[in-house]
Amino acid sequence: MAIADTASTGIRQPRIWQRAPVLIGTLLVAGPLVVFVLWPLVAILMRSFSTPEGFGLENYASVLGTARFMRILTNSLDVTLVSTGIAVVLAYGFAYGVQRTLMPGKAVFRLLVLVPLFAPSLVQAQGLVLLFGRNGLINRTFGTSFDIYGYWGIVLAMVLYVLPYAFLILSTALAVADQRLYESARILGAGPWRIFRTITLPSSRYGLAAAIFVCFTLVITDFGNPMVIGANYNVLATEIYNQVIGQANFERGTVIGMVLLVPAAVAAIWEKYLSRKQFALISDQSKPLELRPNPLRDWSFAALCTAISLAILSVVAVVIYASFVHLWPYRMTFSLRHYNFDVQNGIQPLWNSIYISLMAAVIGVIVVTAASYVIEKLRSPVTRGLYFLSILPAAVPGMVLGLGYVLAFNNPSNPVYAIYGTLLIIALANVYYYHAQGFLIASTSMKQVSGSFDEASATLGGTRLQTLWKVTLPVIAPTLVGVAVFFFMRSMVTLSAVIFLITPQTQVAAVSVLLLEDRGATNQAAAFSVCIMATVVAVLLAVRGMLWLLGWKHVRLIR
Amino acid sequence: MSLRIREVTKHFGALTALDSVSLEIARGEFVCFLGPSGCGKTTLLRVIAGLEQAEAGHVELDGRDLIELPAQARNFGVVFQSYSLFPNMTAARNIAYGLECRRQPRDRIRKRVDEMLALVGLQDHAHKLPSQLSGGQQQRIALARALAPDPQVLLLDEPLSALDAKVRVDLRLEIRALQQRLGITTIMVTHDQEEALTMADRIVVMRAGRIEQVGSGRELYGRPATRFVAEFIGRLNLLPQDGGMPALQHATETGAGRPAVLGIRPEAVRLHPAGTEGANHIPATVAQVVFLGSMTQLVLDPGNGMRPILAETHGPEAGGFEHGAQVVMELPADQLRVVEWQ
Ligand SMILES: Nc1ncnc2c1ncn2[C@@H]1O[C@H](COP(=O)(O)OP(=O)(O)O)[C@@H](O)[C@H]1O
Ligand SMILES: [Mg+2]
Repeated sequence: MAIADTASTGIRQPRIWQRAPVLIGTLLVAGPLVVFVLWPLVAILMRSFSTPEGFGLENYASVLGTARFMRILTNSLDVTLVSTGIAVVLAYGFAYGVQRTLMPGKAVFRLLVLVPLFAPSLVQAQGLVLLFGRNGLINRTFGTSFDIYGYWGIVLAMVLYVLPYAFLILSTALAVADQRLYESARILGAGPWRIFRTITLPSSRYGLAAAIFVCFTLVITDFGNPMVIGANYNVLATEIYNQVIGQANFERGTVIGMVLLVPAAVAAIWEKYLSRKQFALISDQSKPLELRPNPLRDWSFAALCTAISLAILSVVAVVIYASFVHLWPYRMTFSLRHYNFDVQNGIQPLWNSIYISLMAAVIGVIVVTAASYVIEKLRSPVTRGLYFLSILPAAVPGMVLGLGYVLAFNNPSNPVYAIYGTLLIIALANVYYYHAQGFLIASTSMKQVSGSFDEASATLGGTRLQTLWKVTLPVIAPTLVGVAVFFFMRSMVTLSAVIFLITPQTQVAAVSVLLLEDRGATNQAAAFSVCIMATVVAVLLAVRGMLWLLGWKHVRLIR
Repeated sequence: MSLRIREVTKHFGALTALDSVSLEIARGEFVCFLGPSGCGKTTLLRVIAGLEQAEAGHVELDGRDLIELPAQARNFGVVFQSYSLFPNMTAARNIAYGLECRRQPRDRIRKRVDEMLALVGLQDHAHKLPSQLSGGQQQRIALARALAPDPQVLLLDEPLSALDAKVRVDLRLEIRALQQRLGITTIMVTHDQEEALTMADRIVVMRAGRIEQVGSGRELYGRPATRFVAEFIGRLNLLPQDGGMPALQHATETGAGRPAVLGIRPEAVRLHPAGTEGANHIPATVAQVVFLGSMTQLVLDPGNGMRPILAETHGPEAGGFEHGAQVVMELPADQLRVVEWQ
């Protein structure tokens, strides 16, 4: 038995058997995060400064100084602020209706508002064009010449696009409340509006901040919807696409990418700052809220939620409709011909999407579980750094990350080049683009697996690996199913992280929708959208069924 | 000689949780760590278990130093306050866990699990999940789980504090009987003096990271080494020898003329009818009568600035006192002891 080295320092140092697992775990998690998150970002940063004469600010000067850029920047901020504002207010009302009223049909509303999560991220613009476009249902039916293209088209599409994300956050924020606070306020004679202002709103402040942050980032970085419905109204995200794909000007693309990083990063920092000031309003003595019937309130919110649900549904419904007619809007007879997919690679992009999403689900679960295990259970001096890397992707627009992959890995001297141009790199792009959300879900669950289980296992002779395998993973398994579904769903519908990474052979279904839409093949685009939605819904139902067979209840699948 | 703790020191930041603690525990002994919350009991137990690293000091078992061994390698059974049963495993699988980790053969594990379930009387609950068991049952399973790998030492951290009063008293006796049957060296942490008195062979009274006194319950109660121990175990009337207090005779040798704080247990106070005289006899008024079934507690107020004295009486005399009655209390010299020199 070695004698403790207390003689020299007076303090006993941790032994190697304590350090080795921490070191190995940290390296296993940090390595891929550095390669697939940090490296691409550094590559973008470097490229944005690289000029024919070495490093300099020329690229920035040539982009930022122009009147065109200023206009695009203003456009982007305008669209983003307005749609974020509208979406968050509507989502708050919707979430309030679901969580804080006794309106009828809550479960149905809850499901309806989440429908856009199953569809490719440009389905809103697609549907709005079918409804209100030049050849849209409205103009054709009523003989009007209503024009949806441009600013209002983008805003409307964006509001519908981000509403479910905001709803998920706000619904969680409004789900818990302390009945005692509301009772005391009522006893003190406060009216409903005053109670809302002084109790409900402050206690959901953090949820509001998070919702604003998520919506802001989603809108300012989304390019599918503005591509389809924006017409000449350019925003930053479409501008990157135009520069990189249209003009093959990577330098300008990277500069705009860097610009796009700024507001997202600022929003991320602001949200972190607010969440730090959040104080615990719920204690273990809290009483859950008891809702009392209030017909006026309940029916008002039912009306609001019905209106919002109809808007969301009509967009999706019209896409489904369009996929089944002969030629929109001229021959509106039933036809299945658009499901022949006699275009480009036929149905292959859908299979690609499914392969990629399955890979992303498996890899994503492994990656975020490992990250949350190492960060929550193997504390070390680099834990904070690892945590930062893990949530960094939340502030990185998908297109920027994707562009970073092109710049970093499309280079034969890079080891990752071996998988460049394959479905795997696209799956990895999705995994790391959604890493922050997946990681936060997993680590919340990991935190709930009390450290006392680890200690109990240790005293019974269990090694760290035995504890992980026999206790920790089985306990969080239901959450991990949710994480896998999360990665699968997002990978099926996302455009932005993958748009620069696809090749003709690795094209994905969401991109097919965009390209077909761009070519005016509206019906085929709609059919592709429907296939994506059908796949996502089928997988959700299959997983639900499997969970039911396993007897696992209360597993949250839609995040 | 079995378990030996030598000069263990542990800090949390600036806080000294354990200050050079030394202790020897014989094989088969049941020892309680007793002390107020935050005095370092759990920390000492965790150092012994290998869950916490001490900065200095040693933990030796039969002469072998364990301090460098991780908890996995010590083979100490630990029962935690919160049970910490694995929620994803049945009672039987929880018990089997330690054996599975040691890769024992399957039929041997099965046999041992049955044995353990019988030991704690829960054969019928083998296939229930922890969430389907009551608190007392969960704690029994936790005990069986800790004992299954046949540990050298059993460590219990406030194992009963989360249970109902009734279950707590039953389990006390059960754990003690089990420990004696198995003859396993056991350390239990508690802040409940009654628990310590009913279960332990020896009690280690701790205070602010140090051991205050070690001894059997009888020793600690009868001959507390410090005022802290005297006040912590049982109830004690304190009689500072100054001011309004009449000079009292006592058996302890005097400490060089320094004033002393004397102490007397409530049950040692004798009561006489008003007017009785003698050494250490003090007249008082009955200020409060609390009937507690087998005994009666009286608060006696001697007046002239002396603090009230708590007395306990058993038997027929107890009924004879009423609120406001005049009595004479006797503080027998052989029952008075110095608890602190001033
Ligand atoms: N992990 C820790 N970090 C910081 N302080 C701690 C930690 N564990 C215990 N302490 C402190 O050490 C002291 C002793 O704690 P503990 O051994 O748990 O006391 P007890 O079990 O006697 O109530 C307390 O003041 C406690 O706050
Ligand atoms: Mg304790």
